[in-house]
Amino acid sequence: MITIKKNLSHILYFVASMLILIFLWGMVSIVTKYEIPSPLATWKVFLEMMADPFYDNGPNDKGIGIQLFSSLKRVFSGFLLGSLFAIPIGMLMGASPTGMKLLNPLVQILRPVSPLAWFPLGLLAFKAADGATIFIIAITSLWPTLINTAFGVASIPQDHKNVGKAFGFSKAKYIKNILLPFALPHIITGLRLSIGVAWMVIVAGEMLSGGVGIGFFVWDSWNGLSLEKILNAILIIGFVGLLLDKGFNYLQNKFNYENK
Amino acid sequence: MKTNNQTLSNIDSLVDYHKLVQPTAIEIKNVTVSFKAKKSTFTAVQNISLDIKKGEIVALIGHSGCGKSTLMNTISGMVGPSEGSVIVNGNTITGPGPDRGIVFQNYSLLPWMNVYKNIFEAVDSVFKDKTKAEKISIVEESLRLVNLYEHKDKLPAQLSGGMKQRVAIARAFAINPSVLLLDEPFGALDALTKGAMHIELLKLWNLDNRNKTIVMVTHDIDEAIFLADRVVVMNNGPAASIKEIVNVDLPRPRNKKDIVHDPQYIKVHDQLMNLLFDKFSIED
Repeated sequence: MITIKKNLSHILYFVASMLILIFLWGMVSIVTKYEIPSPLATWKVFLEMMADPFYDNGPNDKGIGIQLFSSLKRVFSGFLLGSLFAIPIGMLMGASPTGMKLLNPLVQILRPVSPLAWFPLGLLAFKAADGATIFIIAITSLWPTLINTAFGVASIPQDHKNVGKAFGFSKAKYIKNILLPFALPHIITGLRLSIGVAWMVIVAGEMLSGGVGIGFFVWDSWNGLSLEKILNAILIIGFVGLLLDKGFNYLQNKFNYENK
Repeated sequence: MKTNNQTLSNIDSLVDYHKLVQPTAIEIKNVTVSFKAKKSTFTAVQNISLDIKKGEIVALIGHSGCGKSTLMNTISGMVGPSEGSVIVNGNTITGPGPDRGIVFQNYSLLPWMNVYKNIFEAVDSVFKDKTKAEKISIVEESLRLVNLYEHKDKLPAQLSGGMKQRVAIARAFAINPSVLLLDEPFGALDALTKGAMHIELLKLWNLDNRNKTIVMVTHDIDEAIFLADRVVVMNNGPAASIKEIVNVDLPRPRNKKDIVHDPQYIKVHDQLMNLLFDKFSIED
């Protein structure tokens, strides 16, 4: 009963929040004399877009669904690739002070680099726009996972380590029973931040690379002067980002032993 | 009940006889432990020598920060002595090992594992050659000994302090070490739970024919006298040493209720009070 009430209030607050957005948007639209399309006009275009989201009329004219899924595919490829490096390297940095000292300067230097700056290197390495996009997603989204993993592993309490020592845990047993369970919530927090970054980078990446994808769709709509489509794309990007975040939030709660 | 007591007292005299001929289990030889701080070295304990016989219960007592935990950690192998050596059952200690079971001050159960798994992982790690079925029966047996079998599926966070400490003790006993090291094991428990735990500990010790050597660190004079054969009183640190070793010649099994009226108990209690406190009231 309480949970239903709680959920209901969550939904009401969400709706209220959306009403504020629509109100502000409407005001901006009126002030700019509808140069920025009104929410209603945008909604109409949204319905048109949703009528057949998966249509495919050749390379430069595809439905929003196809665009979105090809973007998601790239984001997850880049994200998984990045995590594949980030988690083991983060563990190494967290577990070994020498590893931390050795790799930390490298991380600090590479971390603030803009995804766009990596793009030419990606093109050079992969000789293809698609590979380059995945590359820049991987290299810009791996840092939060790496840093959180390192932090999680480095902050294993001495008490837990002592258990491993006192009962002679092997390396494998220590990793499985102490290191991973303790670091996992931190790692998932890192992954949650990383997927957010990856989703941010995708638009910029696809604007450069062209082809198919939500970023390309935004740029293409600008060229076609359909601001309604751009606004819809912005909202779709926002909502998908929210869903990705919620998904990882769910994992975070699920794997946090303190909530059990 | 009567016969039970009788058999216990028979065992008692046997063990007392045994104690005369028991070999030395732990030899602490001229141990000094220093820690390097930023600018200086801090010496926690200095030049301590102590022999502990097999099956003996020894309590280390002293004020906070006097280095009694440090001294015990040299036996567990968690801390290496800067000078001197610690020999357990003929082997010089170089690190922690399964021949010495440790019960930590704050229980140190792994919070993401249930009670059963906490013990199982320790047993699994120590008895590498045993079959899975044997390991399971060891874990279940040790859980039954501390009356926690019904709680085996609970996570540590769902247990009370006393229950957590029983799990920690069960875990230490499950690996069947010859030496048991307890670091202020009951410090965080209320007086009632503490009393029950003392009896629980002695029960486990009895079940193993009093063969395990137990070293415990404590702040509690009554606890030390009730449990120990000898109480080692330490000086205040830094560079702490042994102030005095007090023998507790009270027959076993000891009775918590009766023991406090025993003249010997009162004598030892006074002696320890005098060793530990300079002032007894604001008038002094």
